[in-house]
Parts: sequence; structure tokens; C-alpha cells
Amino acid sequence: MNTNTLSGLLKKGDRVAVSNVTGRESSKVSIISQQYCSNITAGWALAKGGDVINVHGGRDIPVFGQFEDLMKKLPEKERPNKVIVYSPPEAVYGDVKEVISSGEGTVETIFVITEHVSVEVTAKLKHLCDDAHMDIIGCNTLGMINAHDKVRVGAVGGDAPAESFIPGSATIISNSGNMVNTIASYMQSAGLGISFGISTGKDPLILTPLQELLALANKDKHTRLIILYVEPGGTYERDALEYIQKIKFTKPLLVYVAGAFAEGRNISLGHAGAVVEGACTSSTDKMRLFDAYFGVPAFDPKDEKAARRNIARKKLGIRVTTLHALVPAARLMMDALGISQDFAPVRPLALNPWIVELGQLARKLPKELVLQAGTIPSPYKEIFAQHLKGDLGRTVTRQSMRNASHASSNDGATPRIYGHSLPNLMKRCSFSRAVLLSWLGVHPKHEFEAELFEMCLTASITNGPGSISAQGAKLSASAGNEPNTAIMTTLGAIGIVHGGNGKAAAKFLIKMFRNTGMTDPYDQKKAPDLDKLVHDFVSDYKKRKAAAKETGLGLEKIPCLGHPVFNKDQVNYDPRERVVSQYLDEHKLYNVFIDFYHRLTRELTKQGVTGKSHAVNIDAVLTGVCLGIAWPMLVDRQITMERAYDLPFLTFVLGRVAGGAAEYLDHRESGTDMDMRTPNSDCRMLTRPRD
Amino acid sequence: MNPRIGELTFLEQLAQRYKLPVPEFLSEPVSQSKLKEKLEQWGAGIVKPDVLSGKRGKAGSVIKVEKEHEALKALREVAATEVNGMQPRAAYIVQSVPADLEIYTSIGYNSHSLSPAFTVSLKGGMDVESIADKHKVTVPLNVFQGLNAYQASEALNTLGLTGKLNSRLSMVFVNLWDMFISTGMLSCEVNPWRVTKSGQIFVCDFKATFDENNFKAKDLGLHWPEYPTVETKFESEMNAWAASSHQGQAHVSPLGGKKILPVLFGGGASTIIIETLAQLGGDPIFLSDFGGNPPYERMKKTAAICFDHHLHSCELLLLLGGKANNTLIDETFSAIADALQECVDAKGPVNIPVVVGRGGAHLVQGIEILKKTLDNLRLPHVIFGPDTPITLVAEYAASIVRQGDKQAKGARS
Repeated sequence: MNTNTLSGLLKKGDRVAVSNVTGRESSKVSIISQQYCSNITAGWALAKGGDVINVHGGRDIPVFGQFEDLMKKLPEKERPNKVIVYSPPEAVYGDVKEVISSGEGTVETIFVITEHVSVEVTAKLKHLCDDAHMDIIGCNTLGMINAHDKVRVGAVGGDAPAESFIPGSATIISNSGNMVNTIASYMQSAGLGISFGISTGKDPLILTPLQELLALANKDKHTRLIILYVEPGGTYERDALEYIQKIKFTKPLLVYVAGAFAEGRNISLGHAGAVVEGACTSSTDKMRLFDAYFGVPAFDPKDEKAARRNIARKKLGIRVTTLHALVPAARLMMDALGISQDFAPVRPLALNPWIVELGQLARKLPKELVLQAGTIPSPYKEIFAQHLKGDLGRTVTRQSMRNASHASSNDGATPRIYGHSLPNLMKRCSFSRAVLLSWLGVHPKHEFEAELFEMCLTASITNGPGSISAQGAKLSASAGNEPNTAIMTTLGAIGIVHGGNGKAAAKFLIKMFRNTGMTDPYDQKKAPDLDKLVHDFVSDYKKRKAAAKETGLGLEKIPCLGHPVFNKDQVNYDPRERVVSQYLDEHKLYNVFIDFYHRLTRELTKQGVTGKSHAVNIDAVLTGVCLGIAWPMLVDRQITMERAYDLPFLTFVLGRVAGGAAEYLDHRESGTDMDMRTPNSDCRMLTRPRD
Repeated sequence: MNPRIGELTFLEQLAQRYKLPVPEFLSEPVSQSKLKEKLEQWGAGIVKPDVLSGKRGKAGSVIKVEKEHEALKALREVAATEVNGMQPRAAYIVQSVPADLEIYTSIGYNSHSLSPAFTVSLKGGMDVESIADKHKVTVPLNVFQGLNAYQASEALNTLGLTGKLNSRLSMVFVNLWDMFISTGMLSCEVNPWRVTKSGQIFVCDFKATFDENNFKAKDLGLHWPEYPTVETKFESEMNAWAASSHQGQAHVSPLGGKKILPVLFGGGASTIIIETLAQLGGDPIFLSDFGGNPPYERMKKTAAICFDHHLHSCELLLLLGGKANNTLIDETFSAIADALQECVDAKGPVNIPVVVGRGGAHLVQGIEILKKTLDNLRLPHVIFGPDTPITLVAEYAASIVRQGDKQAKGARS
């Protein structure tokens, strides 16, 4: 190797460049790395030059088209001395050659994260890097982390590197990337922190062999103990043990060798290089080599005294036979060799189930297997509290939705909505029911819900030609546009203060009701105490209004109260809301949200926040109806809050599309071209002529 | 899976292309008259199975014949006889080459030199592990320059072989390298080369493994032989699915177990978990690695294949991995949950315990999604976080199925 220290491979102040930085995995990992340690100065990706990867709470990553370009355009102090290769397998050779050619004299280390690189190319990369005096780690490494300097390359530590890698005295060298992270977490139970975590990769050729890494770890001032996770395949361990016996090697080793169970069976393990070929490459051969080096038998948790004695006598280390034995063995080693704890050990390693739901099975199992739910540690406890208890709605989960849909499908024979045959829906259900199915994934539970929803659609068709969305259609028709353009103009004239206030109302109502424990919004008897709810809200609102007035700051409006047309009386009503309310009364139905809104207007007047009772407008009604349908689904966590927020707005939009169409048809039939133009004489000039 | 070939494919498709000297051969279908003609010409022939037996295990199935009726009988017998539990693809007959000298050679990638390496020994005809170090020479090679005749000659010199034979062998060894590097091989072994009294050289057995990641091997234009396998429908379906994309792992290796259906994540973690299960009587059905941050669709199909074949016959479902570095847990768990729900919808309910252990990004969201499905399906479950070691979770899962064994035994008695 060209470097002679582990920090030579990675330290604070290193400047990192990432190949194929815009890829699915590389961009995600790079953003987390940037938030953790901000060491990425740039990336490059074919045909993506000029892009920028935005990093929330960190330094954005500029993207260049080629590495050569990156080297030319970056200021000298930002040119990378470390490179991470995330390119597809077939591009790795070319990219590394480009790094060598353009980065000579600047780039010191190349980390090849890519999996499935051919062995021939891997051998060629080693040769080229040796010639260029660059170190190369991989292929198929996960990267490495320097916990004391709080820097990483690659994905070591996942999305929360600081959580697993507390600075300390152990260096982990592992054939498995996952095990670097897992072992670092385990070591917290021994009070042992981490100096370096290194994923070597486990392809058939490991380009940074164990002996070289051990030589570097031997010189690291923070490292007092080295933990190895070893798999079958290759003679790296034999070579390393022969080597360290020739040099002044002072660091004790704690070793776990996996994979012995596969010997003699035709099983391929998860890593491409975990293949037994020749002497000293099998797990049992490697175990034998380590045991011979340590001069003590493998760690037996039942006889810790003997193990401690053995470790203290030989001072070279010990091998464990199961992964979780690393923790007691580490404790013993620290005790026997005088290695102090880096911090007070966290919880002991033990079965700590977070959720236990054994049901009838519990009766059949012996007591020791019927576990009780344990303590969920932070930060998971808090996230659970937020997600699993007392909250509404399904958690948003993300996946690529390109060419994929839950809402619709077509197998070449039958188009479907959420799995329901469209031809069958055409025969058996109303448009309103079909729309609700397509928006919620299930048919409405009650027939009256579809009827109320249809009333809402009808109510949304129009509020007269003066409404701005109707004006939109008329303007477009007047300009001679086609129907689709007129509809777009109608939709373009809808916004959060015209038609879209239902979204704010949904958020407002959900906020008001989410902690009430209410499950059925149609059950008046089980409804929460609405008087108290509105009283408390209005009292608080009144205080905030007064404070806002004093400070001159604005106060958020209560959504969906009042209307520019229906506002003349002391107590105002929106006639469309009246129809819905009367329908509810006539059918002896109840909707808690609409009731809440009525009480709210009265309370606002009662407490003097407003001089007269505002109308509960149509957006509030749409929201009440939509939330009535959606609420049980939120309680049952079948839909997300996002979906519930959007329902009222979409209802208005759907109805108003029909209204816009009506205005367009009417205007095209009876209007004249350009008749919507306002004469100049009717326009006010607010700027005087300047020339 | 890296493609492998044996001697017959080499004889039929590679030897001539790379000017490697081989004896004459006949492969089935072969007529009696042709056999008679060739055996009269050769004096004797060797009937061999075309089988990927790994080591030199097929020696017991190799029969020397002199007459055509013996040859016909041997071809039938050899083709029908399993070698190390593997059924031959075919039987073939090669010219018998009497020799005084047998030579071993191999070319592969060496983890010590981190380069290709050429190994040669004059003690051919036996497993290389059985040849003492002093009787074999390994030459690390420059991957760009390969093996040259001088290096090959020096190696033979070191072993004490000089003169014209040294020179002739060195030349054909270079041809062997040309074949190795231009076809994208991972390793190839000739064991033995046979040298006749008159100094003629023949490749008398051959095996090679190609690197599935090497584009040269993919575009070779070889007609890859199809060896009979004992692959189950599950294995063939899973292998085809695994090979269809490199996005996320979809690796399984059957273990012959019946009780625990292990959906595991991470190359290292899966090894450790299976090791623990196997040691403690968990009887896992296969080793699996489904890590590497598979997208939703990839994970769902992977899980669907596993569930389709094994969910209704296993005794416990284990979803287990370490603390993920890359994988989004909500995405993988929602894919698994959906596959589980669909499998039950299609094939009927199951009543098995589910043991889960995982760590990584969006863990809580993933657990929440999974739990909802487990609740829906009324499956008893225990869910662990990353603070419980995977090996302890595996121990717990193994204990549950062992308990099931005890109860079954109790019920029988």
C-alpha cells in the first residue's frame, strides 16, 4: 500500500468525488454522507454535467459529466484525493482508468463500491493502481469510516453513522459490509467504541488484503483492539498471520470466522468470493490458523475464567464461535489486557423483543419462549410513539411508481380500478361511487356517503359566471381555444383561496380531532365534546388574534368560514351547505365535522372574535363529507393523511371541471370572439408615462 | 452462477479454436461401425462421463475399451451412472493415449498475488492438493501481458524438465493462457497433459469455470452444455429471477431443510444466521441473501417465489438481517408484506409463527407495515430491533421449531 496509516486511507479534510453520483443508491448514500461529514466536493455522471444534488442541511454536490471535467473545473483546494466508484460493473474499468489518468498526483485512494465487477477487471484495476501509486479498496466494498474524525466514504453506518460509530479503541475489518455496522453496534454493550470500520468487500480478489490493513491498524494510535469478521475463500488470513508474526505486531485480535457449516455441502454463500478453493481457504482452515496463532482455544462463554487467563497469558487475542460472543469476549479481552472502556456500556446484549403478539401460540410454548415485550431504545421509541400509537393514517412508503399503479391496471383484457373490473363498475355503480372507489381503493361503506358526495360534486359545478374559475373558461373560449384549453384555464383559476380551501380545512379538522379517540364521525352519541373543543379552540384563537394585532404580525385564517357572496346577514348561510345539512337532518344522519363548523361560527361570535356569524361555506361541507368517508380509513390506517388532505380539493375540482365546460360551451355558442377583452378605457393606469 | 464446462465441451468447441492438442474423440450418437473404425485405428479408447463432478471423482466411471461392443456397452453404462450424486449429461469416448509423463496445469486468479497465476507440476493425474509443494510451481502473471513462453519454460525448468519437450510444452501453455483470458474464464485446469514416448502432447482431461460477470464469457458464442440437475422448481425459478437483474440480491442456496423459511438480508448476516440455525436444529430450508437495497418490485417477486413454494409447508417464517447500511426497511418490508398477503389470498390461510429482526433506515415504518399484515393474517409474531443480536434471534427461532418437534413427538407417543 502507498499509505502507511489507516488515516491515510480516510481522514478529516479529505476531499471525496463520487462516480455515477446521480444513481439511485449513490445519490442517497452521498446525501447522508454529506449530512454526516460534508466531505464530498463533487460527483460525476455521464450526461448529467451541470446537475446539482441538493443536500438538505449540508453542502450541495455539483455534478460533472466526466472526471476529467471535474478535475479541470473544481478549484484546486476542492479537487478530490479520494474517489468512490459507484459506476455500473461494465463502466468501472473505464472510470478507474479516467481517475488514474486525470487524477494522478492528486487522487490517493479509490473505493470501488460496485458489485459484480469481473475478476479480470478487478486484477487489472489493482495493476493500474499499483503503477499509479494509488491505493484501491474493493471491489464490492461498502466503504470505510473514521469515527474519531467523524468522516466516512460509502455507506458504512447506513443512514445514521453516528449512532453505531462512537469514537473509541476498536478497529473493525470485515468481509461483510453489514457486519461492520452490526459489530460496531454490538460493541457498545462492551463500552467499546470504534476507531476505524473497514469493509474489505468479499469478491474473489480483495484488493486491500488483510495483512496490509493489519499493518496499518498496528500503527493507529486510537486502535487498541482489532475485530475481524472473516468468511471462507482466499488465503488472506494465512498470509496476514504469517506476516504479523514477522513484524512487531502489538494489537490483540478478536476474530469471528463464519461459514463452516457450508463445508462439504454444495452451497454458495452470499458473497462471490466466499468459495473454498485450495488449502487455507476454508472456514475450518482459517479457524485453525487463528487458534494456532492465538495459542489458546476458541472462547467458551461457559468458562470465562479460563478464557481470561488464556488471553492474559498470550496477549494475542481469541476467536469466538458465535457472533454475539464477540461482546463478552471483548469485555474479557479489555479486562485481561488492561484496555479501558471508551464509555459506560449500554444495555447488555440480550433478546429484547419490541413487539410480541403470540396469540394462541403462547399457550403451546414453554415459559422461556413466551417473551414479554421489552424496552424499545431511543430513537426508535419516539418514532414508534409517533407512528404506532395515537396517530392517524398509514405511513407514507415510497417506491418507484414508474409504469406502476395501485389505482389502475389493465391486463390486456380488463381495465380495473383498484382491482375492480371497470366493465362491471359501468354496469353496476354510479359515477360518484366509482370516483370514490378510484380515490380510496374501496367502495363507500354507506350508500348515503355516495349520495352526499354526489351532492358535493353538483354543488361544485358553479357559483355563477363571476367566479374566477368560470371566468377562466370564458376567457379561454373568447380567445378561440379548444375545450381542453378552456378546462385547463378553469383549473388554472382554482387555488387555495378559491375552491382549494378544503385542503386547509382537512388539515384543520384532522388537527382538531386526531387526539379525540373518535372512530365513527357519524355517531353523535360517541362524538367528542364539541362544545369544549370549539370553546378551547376559540379561546386560544382569540388570544393569538390579540397578540398578533399587538405585534402587527398576521394570524392564520380559520379555513372555510365566510363567503364573498353570502355575507350580508348577522347569521349567514351558504345555500349549498344548507342543502347538505337539510339532507342530513331529513335522513337522521349526523356528521361531526359539519356540526363542529356550525358550533365554531357560533362560538366565534359568542366570544366576540367576529361581529357576525360567518357562513359555513361549501369547502367546509365538502371537507366534512370527505372526512366523514375517510375518517374510519384513517383510524384503521388504510390511507395516508396526505390522501385525506387532498380529497375535498379534488372533489371541488372535479365538479368545477363540469362547470368550466358548461361556461365554455355556452360562450362558444353565444359569445363573440374576444368579447372578454376589457376596453383600455375601463383599465386604471397606475404608472405615469415616462417617455 | 458461474458457468462451468468439462472436457467434452472443451474438445468440441474450444480445443481447435485455441490450437490445443487433443486426442481424437467421439460423442454420442455414435454408430457401431464408426466405433469399430476408430478403435482399430486407436488400439484402445477411454469411455468417460460428461459430468461436472468437481474434483477427480469421475475416475471410477472411466472405462478403457478395445472392442466396439465393449465401447457401446460402456457408453450406455457410463451415461447412466451418477458420479458423486450427479447425473452425466452424456458419455463419450476418447483415444487412449499411452504416456510416460503426466503434467498438471491450472490457470486462475490468486488471492496472494492478486493477479492471474499459472501452476504447473510434473505429477499430473492426481488432485493438486495431493501434490507436494516442492513438485509444483506457481507463477504470478501480469494480467495485461499474460503467460509468455519464457515464463512457462522457466517453470518447467524449475521442475527439472528441459530440452525439446520443455519448448513444445511452453508453446502450448501460452495457447492455454490465450484461451483463458480471451474467453473470460475464472479458472481452468488440465489434469493431465499426457506426453507420449514420441513426444506428442495431448490434453487428456479438462475443466473450466467462466466468470459470469465477464462480458467475454457472455459473448463467447459457445453453446453452453445443459447438465442434468436435481434442481427443484423453486430453485430454477429463483435462479432465473436472480439472474434477471443485479438490483438487489435474490440469492438462495437450498439446504434441504423443511422447517424454517428464512428470508434473510446481507451476505455476511445470512451466513451467520444460517450457521446458527443449522447448529441449533432450526432446519432452515435454504440460505438466502435478499439484501442490497432491492426496489419494491424486486423484493416482492423474490418474496412471492419463496412464499409460493414454501410458506404453506414450513413451520416458521424468519425475516432477519443486521443493521442495514443501504436497504430501506419500509420498502422491503412492505414488499414482503404484500407478497405474504397475496400468497395467503391465493393459497389459503397459514398458521405459523413469524420471527422478525432488522435494523436500518425507515425501520419503524417498515415494522408498522409488516405488523399490520401479520395482524390481518392473524399470524403470531415477535419483532426484534437492531439491539438484539441476529444470532440470538436465530437461536430463538430455532428454539420455537424445536419445541414444535417435541410436541409432535409427544403427540405421537
